[in-house]
Amino acid sequence: MDFSPIIENLPLYFKGLWLTIELLVLSIIFGFVLALPVALAAVCNIGWLRGLAKGFIYVWRGTPLIIQMFMIYHGMAQFDFVRDSFLWAFFREAYWCALFAFALNTAAYTAEMLRGAIEQTSRGEIEAGKAAGMSTFTLYSRIILPSAFRRAIPAYGNEVIFMLHGTALAGVITLIDLFGAAKIVNSKHFIPFESFIAAGMFYLVLTFAVVWLFKKLEGHWLKHLKH
Amino acid sequence: MLVTRRITLSENVAALQTENADHQVGDSVVTNEAIAALEIKDIHKRFGDLEVLRGISLTANDHDVISILGSSGSGKSTFLRCINLLETPTSGEVAVYGEMIKMKQGRNGPEAADKEQVQRIRSQLAMVFQQFNLWAHMTVLQNVMEAPLHVLKLSKADARERAEKYIERVGMIDRKDFYPSQLSGGQQQRVAIARALAMEPKALLFDEPTSALDPELVNEVLKVMRTLAEEGRTMLVVTHEMGFAREVSDRVIFLHQGRVEENGLPEQVFDAPKSQRFKDFLSGNLK
Repeated sequence: MDFSPIIENLPLYFKGLWLTIELLVLSIIFGFVLALPVALAAVCNIGWLRGLAKGFIYVWRGTPLIIQMFMIYHGMAQFDFVRDSFLWAFFREAYWCALFAFALNTAAYTAEMLRGAIEQTSRGEIEAGKAAGMSTFTLYSRIILPSAFRRAIPAYGNEVIFMLHGTALAGVITLIDLFGAAKIVNSKHFIPFESFIAAGMFYLVLTFAVVWLFKKLEGHWLKHLKH
Repeated sequence: MLVTRRITLSENVAALQTENADHQVGDSVVTNEAIAALEIKDIHKRFGDLEVLRGISLTANDHDVISILGSSGSGKSTFLRCINLLETPTSGEVAVYGEMIKMKQGRNGPEAADKEQVQRIRSQLAMVFQQFNLWAHMTVLQNVMEAPLHVLKLSKADARERAEKYIERVGMIDRKDFYPSQLSGGQQQRVAIARALAMEPKALLFDEPTSALDPELVNEVLKVMRTLAEEGRTMLVVTHEMGFAREVSDRVIFLHQGRVEENGLPEQVFDAPKSQRFKDFLSGNLK
């Protein structure tokens, strides 16, 4: 085994690492911002809106991320109305296509998680809010969502790790994230084991960071569950 | 203090018609006391084919402590929950200090016509639940501050001051930064009472407040409730605590199969029950 090309190419790996982090952070932020209204729509009592939200969740959870990304990156280019419109500025970039797919994908998973957490809110706690004269808005913003977010933290940590690993697909569509960097090193030096294990190490470190972060979050936000 | 109040009440007792349906409830009460605290007329509640409440009326004046007794399934909790519309009555009227809760016919049966009115009235009728229902993610202090802050829109400083006052009242001030899961059932219920008091409500609704407690924890909660009664708060208490009903309340109501079976002063009701069902209930309970 020869790790010297890896050492040589460390700057490339770090560039990849940075893009991986950027894709992860942005898709998690956009995904969460989108997930919240979808989750609220999925528990609302307006039939068509609930159907729409559940349909969104079903479709994006029901298909592989790589297919979603390929349909956006390769598929969109097939349509003239996309190529001829302002959308093309967006869909011609692998970066935006990847981010778009990742954000929608994680939004669906996050929305489903939040939906579950919202529905698990103790009926008694909701009644106590109602009995105190809370409006629906206050009930959601003060009781249901704060309680649901806390409950969702452990599962959400898992989702963030899945998403971290999901971002590796960016390397498939020309982007130089960690996986993309490993592919380049491999094609230059023909050392697949070393190239990919190096990328794997970076992913391990990132995963560790995410786990650590969520442990901190749980320690702070789930204090009320400790005895 | 209790005794004097009871005397005035017994003078009024003829006016305090709370029997079923056909009485003209309330009209005569209004002449004695300005406006009844709670005036509930002919409440019916149906769950599908099951008629849980079959026409219950009740008038509570200011400072009344009314115990509502009944075996399980008699509809007593449902009745209490109809007052603040946690359950929507199938028919009937609820008025709080003269303000009638407006109802309308919705797609799935009757519903509140004016949500804001219901929210305002609920904020004046604090409720204490069997299962405490404290907000688990909030500390004791946060639980008690929450509704004064976000429903009554008090300032943070005022809400805090008020919350601490009532937490102190129920003897929980040294636990104000604890979470509900770190407290015993009795302590949680005392916090729930503080939470109700912090709304400075016009009346308090207690839904079997001691039924979920271990026997040795019942007394700490009853003790707090006694002091509230002695302060002259208006209280409706659904309970199985016969001692409390007898000694603390001004009036006792016994429900059976969704109807009022017994209604009167505690000594009347307990010492000379008119209904056979209440006698059976008592012998089952006091054994």
